[in-house]
Amino acid sequence: MRYRILACLAISFSPMLVPAAEPIPIHSPGFPPSTLDAEGRLVEDWGSLGVTLRGEGVVGGPTVLQAVKLDGVIPAARAATNRGAVRLIHTAFRAPAFPSGVDVLTVRVEEARGRPAEVMLGLDLPARAAIGLRTVRLGGRVVLTLPDESRANRPLRDWGYCDEATSLPGWAKPAVKCDPAFRNIRAGMGGVPIVYRFAVEPKNAATVVLGWCESHWAEAGQRPLSCRVEGAAAQTVDPVGKWGQHQPGTLLFAARDENGDGKLEVVVRAAPGARDRNPILNAIWIFPAGESPNLERLLSGDLSPSAARYVDAGGENDQSVYPPGKLEYRIALPAGGAQELSLFVACPDSSAPLPDTSTWTAATLRRAALDVWLAWPLN
Amino acid sequence: MSPQPNHCSCCLTRRQCLQMLSGTTLGAGALSSSLSLCALGQDSAAPAPTDFVDAAGLRPKPEVRICGTFLEQPRPYWLGWPGTTYDLDKHQKEYRASLDQSVSRVGVQMNWEAKPVSDEAGLDAWIAKVKDQKPHALLVALQHMQCWKWIERVQKDTQTPLIVFAPVGTAFTGHVGRAARLPGVHIVSSLEWSAVEAGLKMVKAKRMFEETRVLWIRGKDSNETVMDRLGIKVRAIPRDTFNLEFDKQPSTDEVKDLASDLRKKAQKIVEPDETDTVNSMRAYVTAKRLMAAEKACAISMDCLGMVSAKLVPTPPCGGWTLLQDQGLTAGCEADLFGAVSLMMTSYLLDRPGYMNDPVPETVKNLLIAAHCTSGTRIAGFDQPAAPYILRDHSESSLGVAMQILWPVGEPVTLVRFTSPNEMIIDTGKVVSNVQTPPAGGCRTSVEIAMDNIEDCRDVKGFHQVVVLGNHRRVLQGFCELYGIKHVHSPQLSTFAEGAQT
Repeated sequence: MRYRILACLAISFSPMLVPAAEPIPIHSPGFPPSTLDAEGRLVEDWGSLGVTLRGEGVVGGPTVLQAVKLDGVIPAARAATNRGAVRLIHTAFRAPAFPSGVDVLTVRVEEARGRPAEVMLGLDLPARAAIGLRTVRLGGRVVLTLPDESRANRPLRDWGYCDEATSLPGWAKPAVKCDPAFRNIRAGMGGVPIVYRFAVEPKNAATVVLGWCESHWAEAGQRPLSCRVEGAAAQTVDPVGKWGQHQPGTLLFAARDENGDGKLEVVVRAAPGARDRNPILNAIWIFPAGESPNLERLLSGDLSPSAARYVDAGGENDQSVYPPGKLEYRIALPAGGAQELSLFVACPDSSAPLPDTSTWTAATLRRAALDVWLAWPLN
Repeated sequence: MSPQPNHCSCCLTRRQCLQMLSGTTLGAGALSSSLSLCALGQDSAAPAPTDFVDAAGLRPKPEVRICGTFLEQPRPYWLGWPGTTYDLDKHQKEYRASLDQSVSRVGVQMNWEAKPVSDEAGLDAWIAKVKDQKPHALLVALQHMQCWKWIERVQKDTQTPLIVFAPVGTAFTGHVGRAARLPGVHIVSSLEWSAVEAGLKMVKAKRMFEETRVLWIRGKDSNETVMDRLGIKVRAIPRDTFNLEFDKQPSTDEVKDLASDLRKKAQKIVEPDETDTVNSMRAYVTAKRLMAAEKACAISMDCLGMVSAKLVPTPPCGGWTLLQDQGLTAGCEADLFGAVSLMMTSYLLDRPGYMNDPVPETVKNLLIAAHCTSGTRIAGFDQPAAPYILRDHSESSLGVAMQILWPVGEPVTLVRFTSPNEMIIDTGKVVSNVQTPPAGGCRTSVEIAMDNIEDCRDVKGFHQVVVLGNHRRVLQGFCELYGIKHVHSPQLSTFAEGAQT
């Protein structure tokens, strides 16, 4: 269904008169433009996004850049390159998503030699980009929303977060001497859960300790948290109620890779009825199964070096389970076939939409652009 | 203020333009659609004394297409709910008749299957048909408990908002509980047909949101965006547009008649004089003209900023009351989600409310909801108006702000979108209308005893919209149908433990 919609969208544009070598601006009424440059990179205020291809029969080729009008009215830029085995076309337009818009980059790969082809399509991102499950962030800003198809066949690190939460270093102010991880948090802003995954031997057990220091709320009952560690009984904790404001505290779980997928999952979310729906987490320690760490020494930081895994959530040694820099997707095309991916890209002064709360699709964003341009008085 | 030649973008005088277009377009929206071709600008001319914008023509009238069917099991029934004694034909005939009436009342198009779906093949065929027709929503009426297994399939395969009517005798808590957690599903497990009709209204309200363009009058920006989930188009225009257009607005016959009417119908007039009421109605007509010119049907303006800068002789409050009474959202202080909350009551509940500044009355443990722009048709657009007193805008001592007297003892709902993804819903009962003086603050000021909120200091939100009646279930239903989280203020006091520092 999705592909059918995208295919329809892709063919309904009308090229303007002259192919351009200069960067082509895309915008929506009243907002500053972004550009698609001569190499076909989408240039934004946070950096640029490029598309790469590799695979058997893929060769280099010049990019033809063109200004086009989608549906006869939406200003857009199109870059097309013949790459031997395949033809690569990307089309970018600005969708007027409230409040400041979002750029939509549709990448289309067409088989070009009349026989099946398999290529790796990559997204070239700034080196410091943090790649999550469905988003890419720079600092706290979501700069890219990835298509749903991106979940499959992506390389994973052996541990890291895989959520849409935010790292907030230095957020907490522990009132006692303690492990430095109690100063930093990951926060599920907007009510999203905090999720970590750790590679383990399938079906193996482990001792997991989670740590918190709540520094925003002074009263109990504001931010109770529901904690689920795979294989262990779920626990609910109200950090202020249990330990007090600015006081570090820990909870211990007897964990086990219950579903045998070789990953141990830790999920922290707002407890039902929580007034503050944004969950937080400061630290994770993993010890071999059966080991019962002294929680006082753990809290002080003494045991962190000896833990099988020590995560300063939101701190310097924290990481996404997805490696940074470049995302790649395997694309298999039948003879004469084509495939498309749509990416939502943060434009100047905006963030890309969060998949957990947004209902935007490539089709609805296109529709929004059409509605706005058709009704815009100066059009 | 003398009339000037009126030129629109098509180089006709405004009058020629309107004459030409009104001759080619029929219907209530004719003038509004024609004016949109003559978009106003800073150099636009003054309206002619007889120019008239029909407010009714501005309210969105979307096309709403719904597909529906009965879901039953192969006949005859033997054991299992609803039971052998359940007369399928009789019930289905009754429900068809009720549906026909509701469809007509609500104003939607219903494509109802002539024969019930009674097996997997029939369900497959119906789902395929629905996917092809792409309606805005689906309605299914369950006629056997065994049909619940099909609900998840319909939801998953069609990805279309789904209303499930399960008359008593076709569902247990487990069925309803599971299905109600599916995204985009609203279950009516009841014999109350009015709840099914409310479901149709939810679909229509959503379509009205999608057909709405709200003018966001603030700052200096001109741009347009579209709101996620609700599909409302937000057109930002510079704040000065309003006061410049207001300055050009003559005291037309419409303005004078409305001003006279406003005074005549008031229970009492305290501060405003005739000039105030005329200016207030000039603001009303200016707002209508701006909406028509910008193809909008709602407005949200930085009114306080404008008053503070002394750009207008009157705050728009009185005019906003008139707009609200005609189903056109008019929001205060450029609070966009306050305006969206007003739209919610207008589109779904067919009545205006008012966005309020909430004040806890800590002695009586009540909430005082105060602002200056309540509608008068608070029981419904087609119901008699509530009594009002003509007052000025208390903060500035300017113009006209109506004190609407809300009916004591009646239930009210407080509703507020905090974003397109979350709505606060609380309910209560009107205790009294607060007089100013002795109180300060806004003119319409209503004391409310909140339901299920132990401490009035815990009431969530700001600029929540107060609307007459208890509409909690309907609003929750809307939220569930469209994936909006609904929350309410804490039932138990969060102050019980005292201060902790």
